[in-house]
Amino acid sequence: MTLELRSINKRFGDRDVLRNLDLSVADGECVALLGPSGCGKSTALRLIAGLDDPDQGSISINGENVVAIPAERRRVGMVFQSYALFPHLNVRKNLELGLRIRGSRAAERDERISNILEVLQLQNQAEQLPSQLSGGQRQRVALARALLRDPLVYLLDEPMSNLDAQLREELRPELKRLMIGGSQPVVYVTHDQQEAMALADRIALMRNGRIEQIGTPQELYHRPETVVVAQFIGRPQMNLLKPQNGVMVGIRPEDIRLDQQGVSCRLLSREWHGASQMLLVESERGPLRIVCAGDQTISEQIQVNWERSDEHQFDLDSGRRLSD
Amino acid sequence: MALIFGWPLLRYAWLSGHADSVLTGLVPVANGGANWLRLLSDQRFWVDALQTARFGVVSVGIELILAMAIALLLDQRWRGRGAVRALTLMPWALPTTMMALGWRWIFNTPYGPIEQLAGSLGAGPLNLLSAPSLTWLVTVLADVWKTTPFIALILLAGLQTIPDDLYGAFRLEGGTSVQALRRITLPLLTPYILLSLLFRLAQAFGVFDLIQVLTGGGPAGSTESLALYAYLNAMRFLDFGYSATVMLGGFVLLMALIGLGALILRLSGLIRPLQT
Ligand SMILES: Nc1ncnc2c1ncn2[C@@H]1O[C@H](COP(=O)(O)OP(=O)(O)O)[C@@H](O)[C@H]1O
Ligand SMILES: [Mg+2]
Repeated sequence: MTLELRSINKRFGDRDVLRNLDLSVADGECVALLGPSGCGKSTALRLIAGLDDPDQGSISINGENVVAIPAERRRVGMVFQSYALFPHLNVRKNLELGLRIRGSRAAERDERISNILEVLQLQNQAEQLPSQLSGGQRQRVALARALLRDPLVYLLDEPMSNLDAQLREELRPELKRLMIGGSQPVVYVTHDQQEAMALADRIALMRNGRIEQIGTPQELYHRPETVVVAQFIGRPQMNLLKPQNGVMVGIRPEDIRLDQQGVSCRLLSREWHGASQMLLVESERGPLRIVCAGDQTISEQIQVNWERSDEHQFDLDSGRRLSD
Repeated sequence: MALIFGWPLLRYAWLSGHADSVLTGLVPVANGGANWLRLLSDQRFWVDALQTARFGVVSVGIELILAMAIALLLDQRWRGRGAVRALTLMPWALPTTMMALGWRWIFNTPYGPIEQLAGSLGAGPLNLLSAPSLTWLVTVLADVWKTTPFIALILLAGLQTIPDDLYGAFRLEGGTSVQALRRITLPLLTPYILLSLLFRLAQAFGVFDLIQVLTGGGPAGSTESLALYAYLNAMRFLDFGYSATVMLGGFVLLMALIGLGALILRLSGLIRPLQT
């Protein structure tokens, strides 16, 4: 385990932003911090980077406690949500600045920069200012800068949130190729569950400064520990049936199938997505979202069913999963 | 716009080509370039031009450095910062004449606090307002006191356009905060520095009320500025044609000074951040 956070607490004024946060990330592992905005994801990254100090708790990299080490000597490669490129320097100088400060020789600098520009296909942008680049190019410059840092840890703060959906999908494999699965731990912050599922080995789902659940994407999907996790992971969202006897039952839209012997429902609306379609129906147990094959013919009155074993049961008061 | 700004200038230009004084019965009479020829050989004009430039360059220089320090301080997060920000602007909000009268009293011989202090230390009367080699420093001091807050405010506005993440990114690249000042803050602040430089230099070149009230141009003309000299020509000697010439001459010199500064900046490559 090369990155380890233990019982981290952080307050801003009278606001608890992080509460008792524990996290460990192994070499080459990518852990996504997933959660709604304002839940403390960026703060966690800034603490790891040394840009803010925790009120309590320890952070260690390769077994060494780094809390007392200032950010400039911590060796983390970070990609900021805003990219934080230096606006007065062209791409080459943006990349060069850190190398210069860290005392690398001119010849070595030039070689590393021309290498990285090639890897990221930025050769033609080398002399351009950040303001002259497209969003995707800026993001790649930010990646390049983090790569050149030779970091012990990679920290990525919503690196794709400023890009359009198509570009995001194109860049995911690139990110995997360059940063994830190397020898460093990667902490990837996002509020997009799909992105977290696609990139991370494990997902830490955060809410109100706490980790609600941490586990592989499969664990979070198949065995969410709380209603919040169940609702956050998987699209379309999990259905929650009308509670009975203090128990709330959840069933995923993709676990529901059409079945003549099932409960009958009235069709409210229908979205066709090509390979699949999403139905919204009204049943005696409340409204349900259903995902079924795109070529299925659907009538106004349908019958649906699901396996008992696909149900997720939660305690109505605490929202916690009831053991099956 | 061009008309509003250009009109007075054109009017002066026209007037500077005319004799318009008691001798002509205050009626403008064209006199060719006589005013301008007189200006070239007018020792008092050149002495005043040098004194004005000295006043402008020295006070604006000190103001910039002080204002930079204040702005950097006010840009940090600390308790009570808001109140201090408002307070620093006070000197600037005070009318110049009132402020100048205040300084005149402070430096008054023998009753002002400076002389009292010097006296009690046995340093004898300093006569700072009647020592031709020192009095101009008192005018600089008064100007610095009054306008530093204003520049600090402009620079502060500039500092606040620099996103925090840039400093974060710079630190993660291995840079210290002192290095950040040179590599990030100064280059990104350059447009604001140049703006206040230009603005203040132009203002300092036209300095009038501060000097009129504080020293009246004395002692022995050692603090007389071009504006004061032009005013004298118009109001005391009633020579409006020549007064306009002095005014314009000063303007031309200011433009030359600014042009020279711009050239130096351009050559040293400092101006590049402006062009992005
Ligand atoms: N420097 C700061 N001063 C005061 N409050 C802050 C500061 N940084 C973050 N916060 C607060 O902490 C909370 C978590 O912020 P952040 O970590 O940026 O959330 P996220 O990245 O998950 O959207 C927010 O409510 C934010 O307003
Ligand atoms: Mg954030």
